Amino acid sequence: MTDALYTVGLALLQSAGLLAAAPLLKTVIKKMKARLQNRQGPPILQGYRDLSKLLGKESVRSETASWVYVAGPRVYFAATVAATTLVPVLMAAAPLEAAGGILLLVGTLALGRFALATAALDTGSPFGGMGASRDMTIAALAEPALMLGLFTSALAAGSMNLGVLVRGLLQQGPSFHPSDFLALAGLFIILIAETGRIPVDNPATHLELTMIHEAMVLEYAGPDLALVEWASALKELLYMTLLVDLFMPAGIAMRAAPGAILVALLAWAGKVFVLAVAVTVAESTNAKLRLFRVPELVSISLGLAFLALAIRFL
Amino acid sequence: MSISDVAAAGLPAALVIRLATVTATAALTRRAGACRGVALGGSILASAVTTTVAVIVIVSGRAIDGVLVRHAASGIVLSYAITPLSAWFLMVLGLVAMPVALYSVGYFAHAVTAPRTALVGAGLNVLLGALEVVFAADEVIVFLFAWELMTLSTAALVAVEHESSASRRAAYLYLVMSHVGTGCLVAGFLILAAASGSQSFPALLSGHVVFGPTRELLFVLFFLGFGVKAGVIPLHVWLPEAHPAAPSSVSALMSAVLITAGIYGLVRVCAFGLGVPEVRWGLAFMFIGTLSAILGVLYALTQTDIKRLLAYSTIENAGIIVLGLGAGMLALAYGHGALAALAVAASLMHVLNHAVFKGLLFLGAGSVVMATGTREIERLGGLLRRMPWTGLFFLVGAMAISGLPLLNGFASEWVTFQALLLGFASTPGLVRLNFPLGGAMLALTTALAAACFVRAFGISFLALPRSHGAAEAHESPAVMLVPQAFLAASCVALGLFPGAVLRTLREVTRSLPGLQPRPEMVRGAMGMTSWATRPESFDHVVPALLGAAMLGGLTFAAWATVRTGAAVRRVPTWGCGGEQDARTEYTATAFSKPLLMIFRAVYRPTRDVETLAEVSPYFPQEVRYRSAIEPTFERYVYGPLGRGVLWAAGRMKVLQAGSLHAYLAYVLVLGVLILIWLGGPM
Amino acid sequence: MTANVLILCAAGMLVTAYLMVGQKALFTTIRLYGLQSSLLGIVAATNALSDGRNDLWVTAALTVALKGLLIPWFLMKVIDRIGIHREIEPFLNVPASLLICLGLTVVGYRVSTGFPEGTRGASHHLIGVALSMLLIGLFLMVTRKKAITQILALLTVENAVFLVAVGVTSGMPFIVELGISFDVILAVLVLGVLVQRIVGRFESMDVSRLSKLKG
Repeated sequence: MTDALYTVGLALLQSAGLLAAAPLLKTVIKKMKARLQNRQGPPILQGYRDLSKLLGKESVRSETASWVYVAGPRVYFAATVAATTLVPVLMAAAPLEAAGGILLLVGTLALGRFALATAALDTGSPFGGMGASRDMTIAALAEPALMLGLFTSALAAGSMNLGVLVRGLLQQGPSFHPSDFLALAGLFIILIAETGRIPVDNPATHLELTMIHEAMVLEYAGPDLALVEWASALKELLYMTLLVDLFMPAGIAMRAAPGAILVALLAWAGKVFVLAVAVTVAESTNAKLRLFRVPELVSISLGLAFLALAIRFL
Repeated sequence: MSISDVAAAGLPAALVIRLATVTATAALTRRAGACRGVALGGSILASAVTTTVAVIVIVSGRAIDGVLVRHAASGIVLSYAITPLSAWFLMVLGLVAMPVALYSVGYFAHAVTAPRTALVGAGLNVLLGALEVVFAADEVIVFLFAWELMTLSTAALVAVEHESSASRRAAYLYLVMSHVGTGCLVAGFLILAAASGSQSFPALLSGHVVFGPTRELLFVLFFLGFGVKAGVIPLHVWLPEAHPAAPSSVSALMSAVLITAGIYGLVRVCAFGLGVPEVRWGLAFMFIGTLSAILGVLYALTQTDIKRLLAYSTIENAGIIVLGLGAGMLALAYGHGALAALAVAASLMHVLNHAVFKGLLFLGAGSVVMATGTREIERLGGLLRRMPWTGLFFLVGAMAISGLPLLNGFASEWVTFQALLLGFASTPGLVRLNFPLGGAMLALTTALAAACFVRAFGISFLALPRSHGAAEAHESPAVMLVPQAFLAASCVALGLFPGAVLRTLREVTRSLPGLQPRPEMVRGAMGMTSWATRPESFDHVVPALLGAAMLGGLTFAAWATVRTGAAVRRVPTWGCGGEQDARTEYTATAFSKPLLMIFRAVYRPTRDVETLAEVSPYFPQEVRYRSAIEPTFERYVYGPLGRGVLWAAGRMKVLQAGSLHAYLAYVLVLGVLILIWLGGPM
Repeated sequence: MTANVLILCAAGMLVTAYLMVGQKALFTTIRLYGLQSSLLGIVAATNALSDGRNDLWVTAALTVALKGLLIPWFLMKVIDRIGIHREIEPFLNVPASLLICLGLTVVGYRVSTGFPEGTRGASHHLIGVALSMLLIGLFLMVTRKKAITQILALLTVENAVFLVAVGVTSGMPFIVELGISFDVILAVLVLGVLVQRIVGRFESMDVSRLSKLKG
């Protein structure tokens, strides 16, 4: 009983923490991008202000939409939040690691995406259909690369369960196998693809020719939009945390001591910041690809993941 | 009378019920309502009996054998044996046949004309009875007879609407391909029987009967024979024609259960009946399974006929099943009994899950077709408002087939992934690269299937109706909704309690030679584990916990959005300033266009744009756009094959000279040759 | 003694078969058939004598009466009625036909060595002759165009089988022989009538013209 309470409490704490940190990450990236473009950029806390503004607005929904449209953002949000409980952040254990590992994580994110894409078709607007179509296409192409990349790291550590994997990696100590770099590069490309950043998608555009994710959520307003934006930011943070866990787990607390937790927090924040810088640089130095060039990029990622696998085990 | 005695009488009793039902149906041809009730009620009763027997066998773990027919005068005894493997397939059959029969009570009233109700009702019973005997057959004669009966009854059901040339063509194609397959089966069984001197399955399929090149030949023959029924590429061309042509409840049975007859054969004979499988056999199955899965879903993505879409999706799932089976065979070839058990369990689990969600999807499609009068997705839309329950159940089926967690598709795909990934760790050499490649392709397939079913559900059920038929649709009667609710609930239950399913499968796999399932495979009723050489597990999953986490997330979302904001304002969708109407909605063709372009090497699309203008080309009256994908297998494999056969037949026509003397000359020459041959050396 | 008589009769039958191959005149062919059947009757009588079986006497009498006299008489009447007396040019000329028949005889004799030796010591020859006659009969059917000749060839084949039955074994059960004899009569009757009809309708007995009916 106490174990169950402990697990539930930890899960709540972890998801709440990540939820709280997600808008910060988004705004930090925006600010760094702006600085690179010689602009000021938004204040650091703008993300929170945007969210509270949206949550306070009235809900405007289309006449043609049904319950699917309402359920879409909520299921997307719930799926992303549930996914955060599967990933170790500060401690070398995920709160709900008994629920599943990498496969369940990928599946849960797919569930969220399915809900959002289906809901996008509900308004009858061509933007929704277009966004859903393009997003599902890119997601489908990214799946094999994601699976191979995650699998390579999992096989190196001996488990597909993230908690066990992180503990294993920490015990092995730091290692710099070339396959790790290849896998990291491959998964970084997937991170860009899944979170809709340049060169795959532009998160700041609303031009019909260029938007993918934004097209899917074009019709949402008010609290519905707040949920979608928040969940997207959370997903980005989740992917970054996943990359940190797989490739740079040093610093994660092995015991529940406050000192170790603090160190882990600082380490995690630092590593996520490094990844955020990498994302910013990638966004700022590349032009957005045409939709039909994205498969080439994703196939590069697939090739890197496969190479990583081959180098490590053959 | 113990349980086993009762159970031993079960299958013959079920067959007797079916026979009586068929007779009664034939007698009631005039009265459609009574005919329907008798046919379908009898079918449900017989299925219930068979399912009970199957469950008893699985739970007790012991096979049941008995006698079907005993003819005292000639001494002919036809026996049957329900092994745990057969019981699994019988259970799957019963689980789908009962809801389908109930659905048909309502469906046949609207979709099948009164004079034909007797034919369809009787045909359905014959098909189900033949399937039951196929799974339970213990002798070659019984098996082949039931197999042929199954083929013929299906063909009759496909050709029910024989006025339409598409139905006739579909039935013809199905018959030709099935009979080529059956021919291969007969050849294979004859070789086995000649080598072993017996007709009963335990003797023939003991694995020690043939060796060497004969074994390879047998593998190919049985693969061809059973693969046609299972619908794997390249033997699949009949499936997209035949499944849509039949009435929808029959299509549901065909996709869900007829496929499993082929799979049963592949498992029983190819994988476990010819001795320890070779490495190349396992690789062949893995390759064919992957190819079927990917091509199946790619073709499904471009279909606008909802039943054809589901038929291609069946090919995809058959590919996944064969992929799991191939991984198991490969593991067996290397002697890893536990890993093989996991892979085969994954395959069998997907058989069950596919039957449930494919049955559900076809029943939903049938309701839609009945309500709107069209099978074209591009003519549907807005059905969720008018058919809320059908829409909900179809959504559950669509999510299940996309492999999303909390539903059954995810559970079996999870086990398949585990088998593939553990296979990499357990096999030596370059061969093991096939496992992660297979896993990557499986991931691709799942994601493409999700895209396909977002399209199928979204375009059909959401937004505005695109045609008059869709705008006037009505919800189906309760007798058609209850079976769909049952199947949808099964999807959820099988998804949340995968451990129970896997535990049942442990008993089934334990009965197959060479498989050694480990007890750690199950974690309570709600969880599954896979293991590695370390004492810790490779991975485990408890979907219900994820469900609980999602509930927490939903609660938070509800709290965050409800406490703020007042009423909801409903406004028309912004259509860039124009009137919003069904014509501005996204179409299904447009939805899959990006994938069509990306995979154009597979599809080889051709496109034709024609503008019709009277006054001047700058003011077109009409623009016609035609887009087609290349039917690769039909054109490049079966076209030349068919033409070759016809060419050879044409050449042989010369022999039929129409001259009496020529025929007599044939007799004379043959007679002399036979005499010389039989007479001994000259 | 018995064996010699048997071999003599069998040889005679084979000679008549060869002569049938070389014949153009239909009358002579029919007469040859009658002679063949009479020789067959003699074979049966010889066996009846040596075995002391009375039913074989009846068989011999039936053979001579029905096949040796009745059927030839009937066929000659048919020919009279339709007015065709000569066979037209066959597919193969006579020398070539005779050569092929020689080959068929060799085959028949070769095969007959595979059979076990019977009680009367003449089995080898009898079976050889019978098989040869069978093949020659078939060959006749293949190369001749007139329907009458084909009937005669069929009857030759039947004679060959009968030779084996009566000469090598102790004959078939009497009731079977009776049945067969009447079957043959009936067949000839029907065929005769049919030939008349064919000639009446098509004014020719040439069977090779049947292929014109092909669609």
